[in-house]
Amino acid sequence: MLTMNKISKSFITDDVATHALRDIQLHVNEGDFVSVTGPSGSGKTTFLNIAGLLETSTSGEYLLDGEDITQLNDSGRSRMRNQKIGFIFQSFNLIPDLNLFDNVDVPLRYRGLNASERKKRIEYHLDQVGLASRMKHLPSQLSGGQQQRVAIARALATSPRFLLADEPTGNLDSQMAQSVMSLLEDINKAGTTILMVTHDPSLAARAQRQIYIKDGHVSELTSNNPNLHLVNEA
Amino acid sequence: MFSYYLKLAWLSCKRTWGMTLLMVCAIGLGIGASMTTITVNYLMSANPIPQKSDQLYFVQLDAWQPNNPFNDDGDAPTQLTYRDATYLWQAQKAKRQSIQSGMVAVIEPADKEVLPFMVQGRANSADFFPMFDVPFLYGSGWDHQADLKKERVIVINAELNERLFGGKDSTGKTLRMAGEDYKITGVMGRWNPKPRFYDISTGSFNEVEEVFVPFSLITEQKFNRSGNTNCWKPTDSGFQAFLDSECIWVQLWVELPTAQDKEAYFSFMNAYAKEQHQYGRFARTDNNKLRDVMQWLEYAEVVSDDASMMMAMSLMFLLVCLLNTIGLLLAKFLGKAAEIGVRQALGASRNDLFIQHLIESGCIGLAGGLLGLLLALLGLEAIKIMYGDWIRDLAQLDFTLVAMAISLAVVSALLAGLYPTWRACQVQPSVQLKSQ
Amino acid sequence: MLNLLARLELGPIFRALMRNKIGALLIALQIALTLTIMVNAIFMMQERSQQMARASGLDETNTFYLSNTIFAQNYNVKTALQQDLQRIRQIPGVVDVTQLNAIPLSGGGWSMSLQTKAGDDIEGTGSAVYMVDEQGINALGLELIAGENFQSSDIDWREIGSTKWPAKTIVTKALAEAMFEGDWKSALGKTVYIDNHQPMQITGIINTLQAPWNGWNGVERSMLVPQQLDGKGSRYFIRTEPGRRDELMPQIEKMLAESDRGRIIRNVTSMEQTRDESYQEHQATNTILLTVIIVLTLITGFGIVGLAMFSINRRTRQIGTRRALGASQWQVMRYFMLENLLISVAGVVLGAAGAIGLNIWLVATFEMSPLSPVLLVIGVVVLLIVGQLAVSYPALVASKISPATATRGRA
Repeated sequence: MLTMNKISKSFITDDVATHALRDIQLHVNEGDFVSVTGPSGSGKTTFLNIAGLLETSTSGEYLLDGEDITQLNDSGRSRMRNQKIGFIFQSFNLIPDLNLFDNVDVPLRYRGLNASERKKRIEYHLDQVGLASRMKHLPSQLSGGQQQRVAIARALATSPRFLLADEPTGNLDSQMAQSVMSLLEDINKAGTTILMVTHDPSLAARAQRQIYIKDGHVSELTSNNPNLHLVNEA
Repeated sequence: MFSYYLKLAWLSCKRTWGMTLLMVCAIGLGIGASMTTITVNYLMSANPIPQKSDQLYFVQLDAWQPNNPFNDDGDAPTQLTYRDATYLWQAQKAKRQSIQSGMVAVIEPADKEVLPFMVQGRANSADFFPMFDVPFLYGSGWDHQADLKKERVIVINAELNERLFGGKDSTGKTLRMAGEDYKITGVMGRWNPKPRFYDISTGSFNEVEEVFVPFSLITEQKFNRSGNTNCWKPTDSGFQAFLDSECIWVQLWVELPTAQDKEAYFSFMNAYAKEQHQYGRFARTDNNKLRDVMQWLEYAEVVSDDASMMMAMSLMFLLVCLLNTIGLLLAKFLGKAAEIGVRQALGASRNDLFIQHLIESGCIGLAGGLLGLLLALLGLEAIKIMYGDWIRDLAQLDFTLVAMAISLAVVSALLAGLYPTWRACQVQPSVQLKSQ
Repeated sequence: MLNLLARLELGPIFRALMRNKIGALLIALQIALTLTIMVNAIFMMQERSQQMARASGLDETNTFYLSNTIFAQNYNVKTALQQDLQRIRQIPGVVDVTQLNAIPLSGGGWSMSLQTKAGDDIEGTGSAVYMVDEQGINALGLELIAGENFQSSDIDWREIGSTKWPAKTIVTKALAEAMFEGDWKSALGKTVYIDNHQPMQITGIINTLQAPWNGWNGVERSMLVPQQLDGKGSRYFIRTEPGRRDELMPQIEKMLAESDRGRIIRNVTSMEQTRDESYQEHQATNTILLTVIIVLTLITGFGIVGLAMFSINRRTRQIGTRRALGASQWQVMRYFMLENLLISVAGVVLGAAGAIGLNIWLVATFEMSPLSPVLLVIGVVVLLIVGQLAVSYPALVASKISPATATRGRA
């Protein structure tokens, strides 16, 4: 479903070139649960931004559902983000002015759906995460764990091809973190692909596949080799 | 989508209400000041008789002093001599012509209990009324024969009719003025052209006169002339000598429906000047002018210097207010960088965000425009109080001006919002989503 | 000295500003425009105030006038005039009265051209003409600084349509200076020519008497002629003892109206009211200009407050870090005051150029005289102070930011 071929990203600032990603090869299938770990400064964030179409790569090919992202302009990428990707952030990033209903509504508006269709989806997904009764509340009235659930509902409301989670439990205490992780596992079991960036090895281990990024290179932990080795997959 | 953006704009403005208030006030003040001065300028330069302003012409002949032109700009004098005006008028070469001057006289009411009082009047010929589309409540003006026979006829205005005859139809009745009886041929309806274009020699925005009598009665010396008189040559004593002199105090308006008519009349004027040159007058024979209403008003610079200067100041004031707004919008939108990042992640394109924030700017502009209208109304009231009665009709908002105010506000706010909106949309979503 | 400058951090402040040019530019432009408008507006107010302050030469507090219009037939104007003047002079509280053909500052009157040589094509000097009797100088409250007043034997009657002028005249100092190359004293006794050929001898010079038209460049040039109008309309100019004007105005009006029913008495007006009406537009324009200046300064001030608050908000962590690194509260506040000062200086430099440019345009379009540099300096100083005052509140807020924000992030 998602393929990166020789994806590289370099930054040039003040005559110093930083190679954040070098020739990444990655293939993700439908239904995979992939965790991405690595030390600070390894290129995790850059990888996440490129996967989520928030940044463009310097070279290489990124195919999402068969479509080559690297050829798209800003409107095209926005469309892809809206239709194919669901974001979950470490700091939830709910819009503070809007109540829960309106927060989940945001991506649906850019989809151009009519009012009744939107209402159906919002109510369904808020119910799925157990917060339907608090639809008219503002984010500030919720706990961290509840806010992250709303963010998850928002991400799912557009029926994306995959969820992209950036340290989803980073701002939560251990109990709330567990409940969010369980929720993600349930969603994955129901068939949604998940790509999760985390620095917590125990959480990373709960994923079906584990990717490790260091110095811009990607390697994958396989079951018959728990240690790191470089893999070049076609 | 539009109503969605309106809702978002409302929420956003509410959140940073202090900044929003400051912006609305700044735009409101700028628009208020600008609209006040624009209104006054617009009305001062309005066409007082749009339906035929291009067919009515003011006649100027230059029989002034040989070595000294009348004005610094060398143009022809602003009034005519009695001899020249009378000659042109009697020649009847235009479709209509009106010879005129100001006058004042004392009216003695029939009711002896009421004290006599002075009135401001005009001495004009019969064509004045049809030429200037003067409305009549009762009756009408007089005819050419009345001019020639120097009949004691008079047209009075509605207020005078109210005062003397209780507002009833007074045509045919007599009015005693300047010691003689005059027959009322008509009562004028409400008519107050601003500027009072047909005679601006003593002020462009004076009120229309209370009585109108035939110009030919001036020679009878029954009432006093009023207005400007300029002489460059000494005159002999006596009224007849004055009438024959080079003193200018008479005005002549002609009605010329087509361009050919205008050409023909202008040739006629110049031919007269050349002929008079042979008798030693008209040192300059080709400095005569024939200007239509708007050309005449423009030449006479009816819009006062103060009014123009203040309009320039107000527009600069508006510019400062807009700069202020740009700065505050920039601050506001950059402060929303996080939300912008989230929306981008959720699928908003740069276009979507651009439109959303432009609409927010427009809403602030609209609010500012409404406040500005209110302030303009106050400003115009203040203008009326400070400058006096004559400006009363020049300080009114009409529908066009209201629309202008709102459009000016919204367009300015949109323009002011362009740069801040563009800046805000350049924000990299990745940066915003991480940093907290 | 350099050490002190270095500690002021001007270099880093400037470089930091350059990286955030637009915000600084907006404030600088606002300050520039405000200075431009403010300086020129004050300048125009000054011009007008100066015009309004000019003395008319009359005893304005104690004088008033009225119009006398005769409408009865077979009326003896001369006798009636003598009677009127006599009656008025006898009223207790009245200092004097004269018949006058025009009123200074009223907007309407007579003017003639005077020549130093007789002849048809000689250039003359324009002057306002006031026709008075031998009590005229006393009634108007004028100051005779050379020569002598008219005598009652000098006074003539002037019929309607007459073009004959008397042999004597009294002129203002300004008129004498204009006609005799600045040496007004030499004008006494000289003969000037009115209406191209008629000689008049200057028998007296008065200090000041303004013409009816306050916008005329010859407003200080007036002449008194010993004539009284023999016609149907004239004015009486009356001077009272101090404090008695208001009570005598209606009293005299009533007395005149009742004593003679063949004429109308109208428009009884005081000179103070005439002056107010004469300068009404000046006063109004001044009020408006003052309002504009004040509002403009307030808007710019509040704009600076708003932008500074925002800019400081964005730099919260940076400010906390500075404090953590050892900056005192005062040093933080000083940083932002200095930053604003740099911007303001750029703004006033731009604004000064703009003010001069605008002034040049105003001088060319509206015929005013150029503004004085003192005004510009005052404007610059005022705006710099306003800028500093405006930024002091946000700077104070910045100085209160806790050093803990360096680690914790936003509070």
